[in-house]
Amino acid sequence: MMKVLVVDDEPFILMIVEDKLKKAGYKMLTRRSSDGMMKYIKTNMPDLIIMDWMLPGVSGLDICKKLSKDTKTCSIPIFMLTAKGQESDEKLCIKCGVKQYITKPFSPRELLKLVEATIGKPE
Amino acid sequence: MFVKTSNKKLKQIQKDLNLTVKELSDIYEEISILYHLSQTLTGLTIDQICNTLLEEVQVMFDVKTAAILLFDENKREIYTAVSNGKWPRSQVFKQGNNIIWNAIEKNKPQVFYNFQSSLFKTRDINSILVCPLIGKKKVAGAIVTGEKTSGEEFFSSDTKLLMAIASQAALSIENAFLYQEMEAFFFGTVMAFVKATESRSKWTSGHSERVTRYSLAIAKKMGMDKNFIERLKICGLLHDIGKIATPIEILDKKGKLSKDELIEIRQHPLTGSMILSDLKPFRDIVLGIKHHHEKWNGKGVPHKLKKQGIPIMARVIAVADAFDAMTSDRPYRKSIGLDACIKELTLYAGKQFDPQIVKVLIKIKDTLLT
Repeated sequence: MMKVLVVDDEPFILMIVEDKLKKAGYKMLTRRSSDGMMKYIKTNMPDLIIMDWMLPGVSGLDICKKLSKDTKTCSIPIFMLTAKGQESDEKLCIKCGVKQYITKPFSPRELLKLVEATIGKPE
Repeated sequence: MFVKTSNKKLKQIQKDLNLTVKELSDIYEEISILYHLSQTLTGLTIDQICNTLLEEVQVMFDVKTAAILLFDENKREIYTAVSNGKWPRSQVFKQGNNIIWNAIEKNKPQVFYNFQSSLFKTRDINSILVCPLIGKKKVAGAIVTGEKTSGEEFFSSDTKLLMAIASQAALSIENAFLYQEMEAFFFGTVMAFVKATESRSKWTSGHSERVTRYSLAIAKKMGMDKNFIERLKICGLLHDIGKIATPIEILDKKGKLSKDELIEIRQHPLTGSMILSDLKPFRDIVLGIKHHHEKWNGKGVPHKLKKQGIPIMARVIAVADAFDAMTSDRPYRKSIGLDACIKELTLYAGKQFDPQIVKVLIKIKDTLLT
């Protein structure tokens, strides 16, 4: 079963994303902060990570940088979910290895389509 | 017994929670769409809105068929503005008992399954969802979606979503119509000024529109931006508005003008700028009018401005104005022809005219008089 990890400090966003992707057949992992994130990702090895940029503690972008430098995690696609809507922010994320840059408010339907297009539909 | 009841309650709570999350998810979906559409549809023309909306709807609902219909107030009918898939491109709905007007009258989306209608003859659509577009003040039209790629029917969440889209789209369409009306009124007023000025003398008839056409061609070739070109259009049309105060005897005089008459006619750029001086947001246009008879060497009127000190709009109009003056008949002489005109412009480039602008005009000269 394909695993998707969602990291966001807003419980509301976590619930919405979890609900949408779970119903589509993905196994969901959710976290509300970035504490111990590298270890958590290496232990669980999700197929895709959906992450908020502005997390308490280590930022989502910093985690992306770390993930892209680690040989074990560099191939995991990352979607950055953020309220930052500037083009320069998007460019920075893409440069740091982010696969999709999604600005809030986002459409859960569109998000599901992007997930399916990136890692495929669950069997 | 107690454990059994608790489990039952827990299951119910879990069920309620799932429903709440689903509800939240739908609301969030609506918010995101409203946010997205309010950004994408702002400042677009009606055609652009229809095309964008069609694309959005098709992607969002993953449907094979979609159409955006608009209300024609004069004909009291709703016509297909843009469509994809099986929707007939020229389909019109007269006010009455039909799928579109029924949705509008009920002000609610309507779903039709196994939709068979004389509308489509051999091309029946398995299911369609029709949503009215109703603005703040009036009916704007309708959105139609049909045939999900997945083959599924439309759900109530689809209906809600399309309603959210329609509410935002209707406002954008209504605003675009208002803008279009205001723009038409504005240009109508500008043209009324032009006619009032030009009707005084047969020699000036059509001059402002020709100067505008030449100026725009020059500006486009120069690679000026859309905003500049839009404002240059108004400047070109109104550049001679000051002539409304020039005595007709001077405008129509066949012989050479006396010194006093020359002084009088040279007043028109200044007079024009004074007539329009209350149009504060159009300062660049007013300055274009005021300085269109300045000369590159600083020997023009009214302020003897030099080179780049002359506003760019005025420099473009000056070249276009001279081009038209030489290539059309005047009371005191016939047109001197294109070749002689280009010779004159070249001779005075760098003296009377901005040499760069003359160069641009020469590049496009053959397209101007057609």
